[in-house]
Amino acid sequence: MYKQALDLINAGFVILDKELKIIHWNRWLSLYSGIKPELIVDHSVFDFFPNLKTPQFLRNCNTVLTFGTVIFLSQKLHSYLFPFKPTCFIDSSFEYMQQSCTIGPLRGEDFSIRYIYIIVQDVTEIVAYEKKLKTMNIMDSLTGIYNRRFFDFSLKEEFEKHKRYSKPLTLIMFDVDCFKDVNDKYGHRCGDYILKSVATISASIIRGVDVLARYGGDEFCCLLPETNIESGLIVAERLRKAIFDYEAIFTSFSVRVTVSLGISELRNELISPEKLFNNADEALYEAKSTGRNKVIARG
Amino acid sequence: MNDSNDVILDDLEIDTFKEIMNIAFGSAAASLSDIINVYVVLSVPNVKIMKSAEIADYIKSEAKACGYNNLVEQSFIGNYRGVALSIFPCGSERELLSIFNPDKESYIESDPLNELEMEILKEVGNILIGSCVGKMVELLKESVTFSPPRFIRGDILQNISLGDAFDSDHWAIIMKTVFHFEEKNISSYLFLINSHEVTASLKKALRNFWKEYE
Repeated sequence: MYKQALDLINAGFVILDKELKIIHWNRWLSLYSGIKPELIVDHSVFDFFPNLKTPQFLRNCNTVLTFGTVIFLSQKLHSYLFPFKPTCFIDSSFEYMQQSCTIGPLRGEDFSIRYIYIIVQDVTEIVAYEKKLKTMNIMDSLTGIYNRRFFDFSLKEEFEKHKRYSKPLTLIMFDVDCFKDVNDKYGHRCGDYILKSVATISASIIRGVDVLARYGGDEFCCLLPETNIESGLIVAERLRKAIFDYEAIFTSFSVRVTVSLGISELRNELISPEKLFNNADEALYEAKSTGRNKVIARG
Repeated sequence: MNDSNDVILDDLEIDTFKEIMNIAFGSAAASLSDIINVYVVLSVPNVKIMKSAEIADYIKSEAKACGYNNLVEQSFIGNYRGVALSIFPCGSERELLSIFNPDKESYIESDPLNELEMEILKEVGNILIGSCVGKMVELLKESVTFSPPRFIRGDILQNISLGDAFDSDHWAIIMKTVFHFEEKNISSYLFLINSHEVTASLKKALRNFWKEYE
């Protein structure tokens, strides 16, 4: 009856002996591994799953056998124990089924630990939704770059790093010149297309460690960690030129835009991330008011 | 309201309980040292009996005095049941990771640190709690089931949940020990809290323990 119950549960249930030989392999495991119980029972778990032969897995089994404790292995740290194909179709980026596992003891009537059980739960769908939510929380849905929330978080984080390690930090703020005219002349869908193009071009120019975000409307911010203002100016000029050279083709229209950029480096006398932001914002304002399509540095 | 002496343990029982904990925690420390390859020292356990309502304040004052701030909570259920709290010093996560997950350091660079820290400490807390409680219930000839570990950061006083078993008017038995990972120079506190509801079965288990020495 117990064997039947173990076959009915919607989770993997494997029983190992003290030598880590498989004693029971339930139907769920058979289904997702493609390995029938008659093939795997009485074999060492490492014969079929050599990936488990790690000091951590052995330590966990030893802990269970020595203390009778229950070990909870979270998906966040381990991703999976058994490399099964994922069954979740929300997100195809998972190579293997994401698993939350529990390893614990099974005792005999004399209280001595006789076996180890492992319960395997498929959490791929939950992880996929979590990943989706996280992405939605930090990305701008129109342009596909980071959003303002993530930028504000990164600015604070980089400011703290600067305070601790004294590494340079530069901020570029830029916006599309006369963007309202683009919207008025070609329509908002064209305006959206321009914003997406500006984001894509900018993302292709900066490094992976830089944080490019849409701050709001047609305004963008780019945080350059471990970069001084001299190097930042080179990046800003590259951005300006790449967008100046770009010709957007939207339906039958050819649209060209320029951007104005303000740049500032975090100096020790700046006591808050807001000060750095204000300096870059003032530089951007100056770039706009003195002719546009240019880079102005401040601070 | 009952007097603590009526419902909880008498001096002889407390001494026996301390003795059991000494043996259990000593054995846990030795086995842990073998398993994680770091010499672990466990302090002589301290037993206190107090009102449930006072527990949070007591733990807070004990932990905060040393700047401790990360907490893993786990319940254990059985005839001997209660709540275990493992409290770690803030900022020790990377050191602890190097003890328990030496090959996993690459995670630190790529994953959000806070989430990673939480997971590491949950697993470390799980092992520490499991090893001590496991050895203790083995000596008491009991077995328990553990709830998954829960990580609590920040204001521990507000977040400690002691469950329905801990009515604020009831007495509770609190055991405290300090783990010290010698080579890494990290210490952590372990608190085990039992409500008075387990006293009857605990007294019985203690009597059985005596009998073996009579």
